[in-house]
Amino acid sequence: MNGTPNFAGWHVTLLAEDDTNTERLTRQLVVLGMRVNRQWKPIPVNDLPDLVVVDVDRGWDELIPWSGDKPLRPVVAVLGSEAPGRIAWAMRQGAGAIVQKPVTASAVFPALVLAVSIHEERLATARRIEHLEERLKLRPVVFTAIERLKAERKVDDEGAYAILRNCAMRRRLPVEQIAAFFLVGSETLSEVG
Amino acid sequence: MQAAVKIGILYSTTGPYGSLGREAQLGAEFALHDYRLNGGRKAELVFFNPHADLAAYLEGARSLMRDSGCRHIVGTITSAARKEVIPLVEKHDGLLWYMCPYEGFEANENVIYIGACPNQHLIPLFEHLIPRHGPRPYLVGANYVWGWEMNRLARELIVNAGGTILGERYLPLEETAVERIVADIAEKRPSFILNNLIGPSSYAFLAAIAELGKRDPAFLPENCPVASCDLTECELTDIVGGAVGQLSALSYFDGLETSENIAFKSRLKAWRPDIGKVSTIFASSYTAVALCIAAIEASGSEDPVTVRQEVVSRSWPSVLGDLVVDPTTNHAALPFYLGRINAEQGFDLIASEAAIPADPYLITSRQKPTRHLRVVQS
Repeated sequence: MNGTPNFAGWHVTLLAEDDTNTERLTRQLVVLGMRVNRQWKPIPVNDLPDLVVVDVDRGWDELIPWSGDKPLRPVVAVLGSEAPGRIAWAMRQGAGAIVQKPVTASAVFPALVLAVSIHEERLATARRIEHLEERLKLRPVVFTAIERLKAERKVDDEGAYAILRNCAMRRRLPVEQIAAFFLVGSETLSEVG
Repeated sequence: MQAAVKIGILYSTTGPYGSLGREAQLGAEFALHDYRLNGGRKAELVFFNPHADLAAYLEGARSLMRDSGCRHIVGTITSAARKEVIPLVEKHDGLLWYMCPYEGFEANENVIYIGACPNQHLIPLFEHLIPRHGPRPYLVGANYVWGWEMNRLARELIVNAGGTILGERYLPLEETAVERIVADIAEKRPSFILNNLIGPSSYAFLAAIAELGKRDPAFLPENCPVASCDLTECELTDIVGGAVGQLSALSYFDGLETSENIAFKSRLKAWRPDIGKVSTIFASSYTAVALCIAAIEASGSEDPVTVRQEVVSRSWPSVLGDLVVDPTTNHAALPFYLGRINAEQGFDLIASEAAIPADPYLITSRQKPTRHLRVVQS
């Protein structure tokens, strides 16, 4: 998060039973300008809040409608136990920060900032991986295009790649895309060389 | 309530910011004097001096709460000390009354905040300075959370205003070697200077800027003011050569011509004719103690939860004006006064704003950010 984090107007679901920790959490979330919905039942997947705070000591799988590798929203774990199983459960829900029990006021804001930043970072990383995987998948296409250019235009590897790259830069498209266009005949690369 | 209610007073009256602690303690003593003068007999003060040693703050708070039986502590000057004391106050279900300007980003149920946070000092200060001097400040600060966070926010405000930070430098708490910073300022030529230094560093810096102004008129206060959010009357005599013309944004000035302040100062004169100008530290400490006692008496209990409910339930007449404490944040709404230091070691009021509700997490001043803002570079 860049600049001063601001959660005003955010909708947070607090998955916990009603107790003094929950009271303290709610007070602090309200201070931060958030709309708090406390419940002790699963979140429907078609009605997701902006952020989830969950009692990890007692939470069960169906409470949160996603699994760890693809958390749909930032998650803050509220934790008293040190049991490895409970910590693992928090991680499977995608928890990016922990608020220790008993809850103290000063623990809440830092945990939210951390969880939201980690969530954003995960999303960005996932998008980047997806993008790179797509390009990786198209590498054989680039290779084939280079082989054909070498044969047709009597250039070496570097020369063939330069033709593709120059065209890609001019058209502002990935090299892989240009290679695919060339192979299906919709890009003649005629203006090159 | 048969036995007297004991209120702990936790100020470092010695050490690097001892002058502030002494001022605050005097304000607390005057509050008790005023209370007794009006026939009050149910409250007494217990003092502890941690000598500006962080560990001693914890020891002090423990001693006040456990040994002396205080449920209420008025005190701490620095945020570091406040943060040190809060967990203990929470544990003992006590109430801490904090009365210094601070950097915000805190709203603890066990603390009543009588000191201003940035939307009550820094933001209105910048709203005043930027149109008049331009958004090209130089930031200096004490090397701890007050300096860091105030300057971080200043940077954000300046960037949002389309301006540029020309420099940002920090000094350890007691460091008075300011020459390198001043030389850098002379070279960078900012449009104004935000001073978040505290104590002797701040005084040395202001003195050095005054010298610079004598050599180069571009650095006279009317051209390139040094603005602080915590510089008060009780410190002005410590600045060698004075700092006439420089600015400070505070919730109280000695020279305020309100009926409350005129009455306050006349009572003070009767108590201690030797006391010169009243600072916001004195007035805020007085207010914290007076409000604490008044709320205990009004609610008939010293139980912190009951007292807190009483405090937030209504408006209280005070030397800071009618005081309203927000039930959600526990922060007082406070007026904004911008003062210019005069030759009499006081301030001339040059701008003011009526009581501003505190927004410690700065949630109302900006729009809800779009989630997932980060743009991926591919």
